[in-house]
Amino acid sequence: MAVYRRDTRSRFLLPVIIVSSLLLITIDSGNGSGAVASLRSTAHNIISPVQSVVNDAFQPLRDVAGGITTYGSLKQQNDNLRRQISDLRGQLRQTRGVGNELPELEKLLDLPTVQDATGIVARVTAGAPGNFERTVTIDKGSSQGLRVGYPVVTGDGLVGTITQVAGQSATVTLLDSPSLGVGVRLTTSNTEGITVSKAGARDLTIGFLSDSNVLAQKGELVLTAASANEAFPPDIVVGTVVAYAKAAQDLAPTITVAPAVNLDDLDFVKVLRFPDPTAAPRGG
Amino acid sequence: MGLRRIRLVLVVITLLVLQTTVFTHLRVFDAVPDLLLVAAVAMAYDSGPLAGAVFGFAGGLCIDLFLTTPLGLSALTYALTAYGVGVFQGGVIRETRTIAPVLGGVGGIVGGILFVVIGGIAGRGELFALHNIQVIVVSAVYDALVAYAIFPFVRWAARTDVGKAWPGR
Repeated sequence: MAVYRRDTRSRFLLPVIIVSSLLLITIDSGNGSGAVASLRSTAHNIISPVQSVVNDAFQPLRDVAGGITTYGSLKQQNDNLRRQISDLRGQLRQTRGVGNELPELEKLLDLPTVQDATGIVARVTAGAPGNFERTVTIDKGSSQGLRVGYPVVTGDGLVGTITQVAGQSATVTLLDSPSLGVGVRLTTSNTEGITVSKAGARDLTIGFLSDSNVLAQKGELVLTAASANEAFPPDIVVGTVVAYAKAAQDLAPTITVAPAVNLDDLDFVKVLRFPDPTAAPRGG
Repeated sequence: MGLRRIRLVLVVITLLVLQTTVFTHLRVFDAVPDLLLVAAVAMAYDSGPLAGAVFGFAGGLCIDLFLTTPLGLSALTYALTAYGVGVFQGGVIRETRTIAPVLGGVGGIVGGILFVVIGGIAGRGELFALHNIQVIVVSAVYDALVAYAIFPFVRWAARTDVGKAWPGR
């Protein structure tokens, strides 16, 4: 009898595993579950101190490796940057006059701005543990007031958005993740669109263009769109146009954008409290 | 809880910590090894397909807590891969010195494909991308390399205490 019971149990073990897994996938793929989020949060809270320690241990190794591999190009990069600074100084002078009008116009339109959002500086402690996602883990979480959906930036521009939060850590889905689309606008034409990413590609394309006949120039800045109820504050730098192509049979052009931030080399980021939970409701 | 189970839990915790900390810094061509998948395959090789499936389910569930893909996806993938490899090696393969990397690599390929296919069907359509073929192949090579260390570790943990055995063996 004992042998029979064990065999029966064994026979049903694999189907039970399969059904349990499918149930979990279904529950978590739907609207999400508080219990699952709580489990994830607990797991992240346990592991985040270890991630910080390991990150500290790996930092010197990363610095050495980075220095060796990039030494040859650093001098060239330095010259290029000097040239760019000189160009940008000129552009800044030109833009200053136009820029003075912008805050007033935004106020009139009642649009939230990046200045409305307060930020929390966080350190990147780990990359994605899996093979099929573009995420990083940061060392700040719900205890510091972070919430799912908050935008993440560096001084160069947009990094991504928070998709999971634990007490002392959070997961940031990067801008070039295929699961993330960002509302953007081209600075010259103000044409709006949504970023589209492909797995493995570091550059983005702009899809769902508001004007399918738009022309874009190489080097043109791409900023987050200025629309009401956007997930990101307007005018954060997303990247620059690196390629434009439109064949005769195409309905819309293919505009390729290189992200402004090097998403493979993140140390510190700033999480914007956007929309600000303490701000009064807009439009009233 | 028997000593064997304690050792197996220790294996899961150790590999989980390594996967979510050390190996996130050791990405090669966008790929990292799936330590717990290799461990599940090792378990299937050592203790039979059902033991591998149970171990894979538990290990996969743990790693799922750190991914943005649906909870249960890695659990299902690891369990099915371990079961399949366990059945396959039981009928065909004999013990050789290269068995660990071969099974680790095969497990990596099968696990990667299952993850993409099941994940894609479960609503993560972005997983169906050509680039992911490269990721699966590189990850499988990585899995084959780490299998040299993980197979002995799992064998140590899975050695049967006197009078006790996993079901289905």
